[in-house]
Amino acid sequence: MTAVDERTEPLNGPAAPSIAVRMEGVNKWFGTFQALNGIDLTVKRGEKIVVCGPSGSGKSTLIRCINQLEAIQAGKIVVDDIELGTGGKNVHRVRREVGMVFQSFNLFPHMTVLENCILAPTKVRGIAKAEAIATARKYLARVHIPEQADKYPAQLSGGQQQRVAIARALCMNPKIMLFDEPTSALDPEMVQEVLDTMIDLAEEGMTMVCVTHEMGFARRVADRVVFMDRGEIVEIAPPEEFFEHPHHERARVFLGQIQRTHKPADPATPTI
Amino acid sequence: MIRAFGWNEVLFIVMALRWTLALSAIAFVGGGIGGLAVALARTSSITWLRLITTGFIRLFQGTPLLMQLFLVYFGMSILGLGIDPWTAAAAALSLHAAAFLAEIWRGCIEAIPPGQTEAATALGLPWGTRMRYVILPQATKIAVAPTVGFLVQLVKGTSLAAIIGFTELTRSGQIINNATFQPFLVFSLVAGLYFVICWPLSFLATRLERRLARATAR
Ligand SMILES: Nc1ncnc2c1ncn2[C@@H]1O[C@H](COP(=O)(O)OP(=O)(O)OP(=O)(O)O)[C@@H](O)[C@H]1O
Ligand SMILES: [Mg+2]
Repeated sequence: MTAVDERTEPLNGPAAPSIAVRMEGVNKWFGTFQALNGIDLTVKRGEKIVVCGPSGSGKSTLIRCINQLEAIQAGKIVVDDIELGTGGKNVHRVRREVGMVFQSFNLFPHMTVLENCILAPTKVRGIAKAEAIATARKYLARVHIPEQADKYPAQLSGGQQQRVAIARALCMNPKIMLFDEPTSALDPEMVQEVLDTMIDLAEEGMTMVCVTHEMGFARRVADRVVFMDRGEIVEIAPPEEFFEHPHHERARVFLGQIQRTHKPADPATPTI
Repeated sequence: MIRAFGWNEVLFIVMALRWTLALSAIAFVGGGIGGLAVALARTSSITWLRLITTGFIRLFQGTPLLMQLFLVYFGMSILGLGIDPWTAAAAALSLHAAAFLAEIWRGCIEAIPPGQTEAATALGLPWGTRMRYVILPQATKIAVAPTVGFLVQLVKGTSLAAIIGFTELTRSGQIINNATFQPFLVFSLVAGLYFVICWPLSFLATRLERRLARATAR
């Protein structure tokens, strides 16, 4: 990436709060099943967090609570100084500031790539169409697919679709980006192009919370790794420390399994 | 005196077709508006809205159309609204269509993968915008064929309005039959006219379905 986005300016400006996300004592139940148990997590502005853990440990639920795709039953979440409690107040304000990328892309199939990108800016932010299109083209160029703007999602490869999904989220000018296993549904040869896009984004200073098992990405980008198990945060540590010397037995078991099943996508990064 | 079944009689029946078409159109428009509202309420996250609309759908799906016509017709006179077959038939068929279309469209709305709603929600789109730009355009595509299919049922269903004295195609057939005593000829003509309306509709449904399938495969 060449030019530094204008977004990074106010982001690091003195007026901006230094805490992007603060979760305090967050509890979440699905019926009688407790999916999140006493979650405390603070994400600083510009920080990159990688969330990992076994299947069903609550990783998706955790990040989906940040933009209130899931309501919480106890605790407090503050996003960009906007407080979210259990009542569902302020959700619309928070969602404008938080972009999300899903495992299954979730592009709108009846719209072209460009239409996907301008829908929310025009309908939610009230930006003029021409301006929204210009912004969309800028971000599509940034994720290296400017030429696909007029195609439909079904005409693109999985990796291209996921990059469109990233561009679509960026078009809302979010302060925080959430990623829920963005490369898990991709064919192996397409994983790296999406990870590269995320690395670019990280280097531009975006605040990111990524659920991923791409350990190469975690080592390269993450400031801290959050390890979850059974709805709890078991361990939070910088990547080197977490991968080399995990404190908890559950983390060691998990890393052993990951090592066996996941090959690192980035050949430049040594295997853990 | 027995009349012959001649051109005038044929013409009388053919002309009655417009009332069948008019009643079908009104019921379809009324049912379409009502059905959309009920389908949206039925799929909403507000519990009491869901309960009320589910009850409405169950009620109309669980009773014969003829009883619905009777109840609206006689109910109107009890409420002092007068006995008017036109209004009663239009109201009863609209309610009937609303219930059935709501159920068809609910299925279409729910057939859209939840990821679409999630992505739209995550982008900050409020409910109305989400429905209008993301969910309904996709649901419409899969709704076309069953909706036109129901329209065929609705056209045929208007024949029951004959019983409360609304002179549409079937009733005009009964009138001519009472005068000519040529039931087989008369009702063959009536049935043929229903077929002429309904068959192209079914044909259209198939064509639309194919075209949309091509469009989505784009
Ligand atoms: N809508 C729901 N209703 C009921 N239970 C749910 C729902 N969503 C998630 N759960 C349960 O909550 C737990 C945590 O789910 P979550 O999706 O957050 O796990 P995860 O860590 O993201 O797992 P994975 O790696 O498989 O994606 C699981 O046991 C799951 O079955
Ligand atoms: Mg998950």
